[in-house]
Amino acid sequence: MSNSEKTEPKKKKKFSRRKFLLRSSIGLGVVMGATYLSRPIWRRALANFANTAEAPYQGATDDPKIWFEITADNQVTLLSPKIEMGQGTFTGLAQIAADELGVDISQMKVKHAPSASGNLDAFATGGSTSISSLWQPLRELAATMREMLLQEAAKQLGIESNSLSVVNGVVKGGGKSVSYGDIVKNVTEWKIPKTPKLKDVSEFKFIGKPIPRVDLKDKVLGTPIFGMDASMPDMLYGDVVRPSQIDSTFVSADTSAAEKMPGVIKIIKEKDFVGVVAKSITEARNAKKAIKAEWKVNKKWQNSDIEEIIKVGNGTAYTIQKEGKPNFEGEDTITSEYHSPIGAHAQIEPNGAVAHVADGKATIMISTQVVNITRSEIAKRLGFEAEDVNIIPTFMGGGFGRRLHTPNGIQAALMSKAVGKPVKCFFDRKEEFQNDTFRPPTHHVLKAKLNSNGMIESMEHNVSSGAVAFGSPMLPPGAEAIFGADIGAWRGGMINYSKIPNYRAISWKVQLPFATSWWRSLGLLANTFAIESFMDELAIKAGKDPVQFRLDQIGDDERGNRLKKSIEAARDKAGWKDGKLPNGRAMGFACSVDANTPCAHVVEVSVEGKDIKVHKVTCSIDPGVAVNPDQIKAQCEGSIIMGMSASMFEKMEVKDNQLTPTIYGPYQMALMRDAPKEIDVVILENAEQPGAVGEPPLGPIAAAIANAVFRLTGQRLRSMPLEIT
Amino acid sequence: MKISFNINGAPQTVETDGNTPLLWIIRDVLDLKGTKFGCGKAACGACTIHVEGMQVRSCSYPAKLAEGKNITTIEGLSDGDNLHPVQQAWMEEIVPQCGYCQPGFMMATAALLEVNPNPTDEDIDNNIVNVCRCATYYRMRKAIHRAAEIKSANL
Amino acid sequence: MKQTNLFYLTIMLFIMAISIGFSSNFSSDNFSEKELEEKTENEVTDRAKSLEGFDKMMQVLTHKRCVNCHPAGDRPHQGEDSHVHNFNVQRGASNFGAPAFNCNTCHHEENNDIAGVPGAPEWSLAPREMAWEGLSRVEIARSMMDPEINGNRDLEHVVEHLTEHELVLWAWNPGVDNEGNPREKPPVSKEDYIAAVKQWAENGAVIPEK
Repeated sequence: MSNSEKTEPKKKKKFSRRKFLLRSSIGLGVVMGATYLSRPIWRRALANFANTAEAPYQGATDDPKIWFEITADNQVTLLSPKIEMGQGTFTGLAQIAADELGVDISQMKVKHAPSASGNLDAFATGGSTSISSLWQPLRELAATMREMLLQEAAKQLGIESNSLSVVNGVVKGGGKSVSYGDIVKNVTEWKIPKTPKLKDVSEFKFIGKPIPRVDLKDKVLGTPIFGMDASMPDMLYGDVVRPSQIDSTFVSADTSAAEKMPGVIKIIKEKDFVGVVAKSITEARNAKKAIKAEWKVNKKWQNSDIEEIIKVGNGTAYTIQKEGKPNFEGEDTITSEYHSPIGAHAQIEPNGAVAHVADGKATIMISTQVVNITRSEIAKRLGFEAEDVNIIPTFMGGGFGRRLHTPNGIQAALMSKAVGKPVKCFFDRKEEFQNDTFRPPTHHVLKAKLNSNGMIESMEHNVSSGAVAFGSPMLPPGAEAIFGADIGAWRGGMINYSKIPNYRAISWKVQLPFATSWWRSLGLLANTFAIESFMDELAIKAGKDPVQFRLDQIGDDERGNRLKKSIEAARDKAGWKDGKLPNGRAMGFACSVDANTPCAHVVEVSVEGKDIKVHKVTCSIDPGVAVNPDQIKAQCEGSIIMGMSASMFEKMEVKDNQLTPTIYGPYQMALMRDAPKEIDVVILENAEQPGAVGEPPLGPIAAAIANAVFRLTGQRLRSMPLEIT
Repeated sequence: MKISFNINGAPQTVETDGNTPLLWIIRDVLDLKGTKFGCGKAACGACTIHVEGMQVRSCSYPAKLAEGKNITTIEGLSDGDNLHPVQQAWMEEIVPQCGYCQPGFMMATAALLEVNPNPTDEDIDNNIVNVCRCATYYRMRKAIHRAAEIKSANL
Repeated sequence: MKQTNLFYLTIMLFIMAISIGFSSNFSSDNFSEKELEEKTENEVTDRAKSLEGFDKMMQVLTHKRCVNCHPAGDRPHQGEDSHVHNFNVQRGASNFGAPAFNCNTCHHEENNDIAGVPGAPEWSLAPREMAWEGLSRVEIARSMMDPEINGNRDLEHVVEHLTEHELVLWAWNPGVDNEGNPREKPPVSKEDYIAAVKQWAENGAVIPEK
């Protein structure tokens, strides 16, 4: 904590469980009264709710026994319903639990909770919600667990529990002591007491400290912890024929040649796929190549078709935000258009699963962000009860939203069922690129009018995008009808400058002929690119400093004040200067608010030929309570470079019905040489609980770079990936 | 065919089709799962191992070429409980996020330090070209410089 | 070599350098073919036959399977569109990549059709002075025959490189790409090409003006 500039968290607001449950029910209850709620004004209210609400944790939080395992060696294992995919959740949860349990962080281990444990998250690991949504429930669970141990210790030691104290998992009192490990040995039945009072900020030993990741050593040793590493005894290898063309449906397959290939155990034909099971992965892959599959192709799509679909004006419009009466009549209206391409997740661990289905039970080891949905989908397809399917989640070799859809789990399960043995099956890289659930392309039209003082009088953001949140089993049925606009597509698409008298944001929904979905930060990157580039254009038009121009038009409410503080922090830390710097570089600025976390970036950029080089990024982030400042920094660094990768290099295109390219390299991504040599992260804590961290810092990066490039070259880059012409 | 080689200091003989990528022999036959599959096309570097001390992408290295060679994987990088300087530096800088690509990066870095004990930023850019989707490059660069320091201090 | 020949050679190399620099076709109005032939010091037995062989040979040597690894700069090229090699691959001091990330990190003695990574013995780049990228047929031939550039090879050794070197002959066994699609082979068969090289050499290794 010493290195980061932060303020001490303020005294916590009382946040009772009752209120917590009430908030949950608001989140889930939006399905009610669809007809009434789908009226525009309600839709805007709902959009505002979706933009600002803290997502509650959606799982059982009343029984500490399914959360903690205490072993004889006085170690505590936290069974996490949230999955570790690099975001550092395991470490943050361990810190939170250790403080309330009264153990040292070195006594904490974290493992994924198998679905059979009953500790099941009904939502997902995603949306930067793991720490924020478990902040309150996990402290309550850990404090309750501590109270349970104290009550047992009191019994065992014959001392009143209120005269006992705990240090590093050892209960002391009346000159006696007993460890948690010894206490649990003698317990036959636990009683769950009332939730005790939670610790005060001043009592935290681990929360707020830059504790090294709890999974650090395993990851440095190469310990097998990922879905791809999972295995079961007597395991066979499966492979599935997947389409290389979009908008195509499986018709049939000639498997006669494949059946005779070496190592082949069985060919599996299901209604929607054909698979092969063999003794080794190479034999399975070779046999798959010999299968001649026929697909019904509905239309020959080209990229120009996609560009046409995505144009603002061609879909269905939903106004998601409106203040005053925006007016764009007259020649002084400023209009700009922005584009972002199709983006691939490109996580390095391909999707895969190991499944064993026998005797009416199924066990599946899998990299999944949606344990509960994976379980119910597999159970449904197998005709099993959900309780007869045990999902054992593994560490994920990147998530980024790619593992919110897990049909690969169903395929592995069906193949295992067909051969009666465990089967491991995973995508090859080309299939990953062609069967991804992509970040949809977007088109943005922005309009504004300035008043005589050079301030914005009217402003409008139109974003047209393919589906992000819609079509996902994570949303309750009917959500699409109620919300109208895709809450994922317009994420980051609202205008944060509430001092503008007249403004609105309009989300255009279109239907694309391939699957699109969550990609780390959803619509935030593209929407912020458009809005924040446009703000820069307006500041230049008004002849104002772009940072001050923003500060002057942000409202004075709590949200606005936090954003302003973030902007000022980044500005001051970077030593913001508008225009070209003496060293041939220029700075660029942009900011965003995502899931209530404000973020601001100042980038330092040079241009050599047509190459854009980002030398330094100063990032301010205000996630509220900083549970682990080091991991917050790590998330900022990673988000910034991943965002740079998407902003400067990445692009998928549709060519003769195929999504292309299909391999790293041609799908160009940031490499070591592209990473800035300096990333300076300032952490602010202007909220009373932890908020989102893993996605918000992606927001401003594309716009900040484009704004810097304009100062160097005079070229306004309005399309991602940013290319100087 | 029968193929014999040394892996992490111990002799091994496997029976396999000679064209099977060495990656799958290492992972599925020898059960050393620290070497990862990322693309199978020698593009991402997650499967990087050492063959005779040089970095090789095992997904595109047919098993038959391993005959008589000395192979090292991430499991053999440390000397028992003593972490390799690269691993020590990775711990100090808290580099990994998801961690999947990290063994490949650490193997590539270890190979670089063998031929270039004190790499410049440009040397790092030209020799460490694996792909990390969590984009931990910023800390990796610091860790590579730190590993060079640790390694030279150990000499 | 006679004094006059040396004089002409010097001028010729000078002009060649300029013509390469401006990427224009070498114009040799002032120089007779005889003089060029003398430069190679090969006896012209059948000029027409030699030129016939030249035409065929050059269809191969100007093909991307050859030129991708005879780049003008410090980056190899790859693929049917001859794009600069992905992943920041560099020539390196010994035309074999960066010290710890060299050709053999990915490329081995033979093609790997599972990975779609091409391979052949001595997989490496031609030295920078043997760059063919951007050169005309005539320029490539002259460069190839110039002992100052070609590693002091005489005609016999040039022919040997062209017809026997496994890395050169890889062009007819280029394997498949990352999607499993076969790489394009040169437009002349290997046998016809070898015969053409020999026909060109045995009849005087004539390099035409254009």
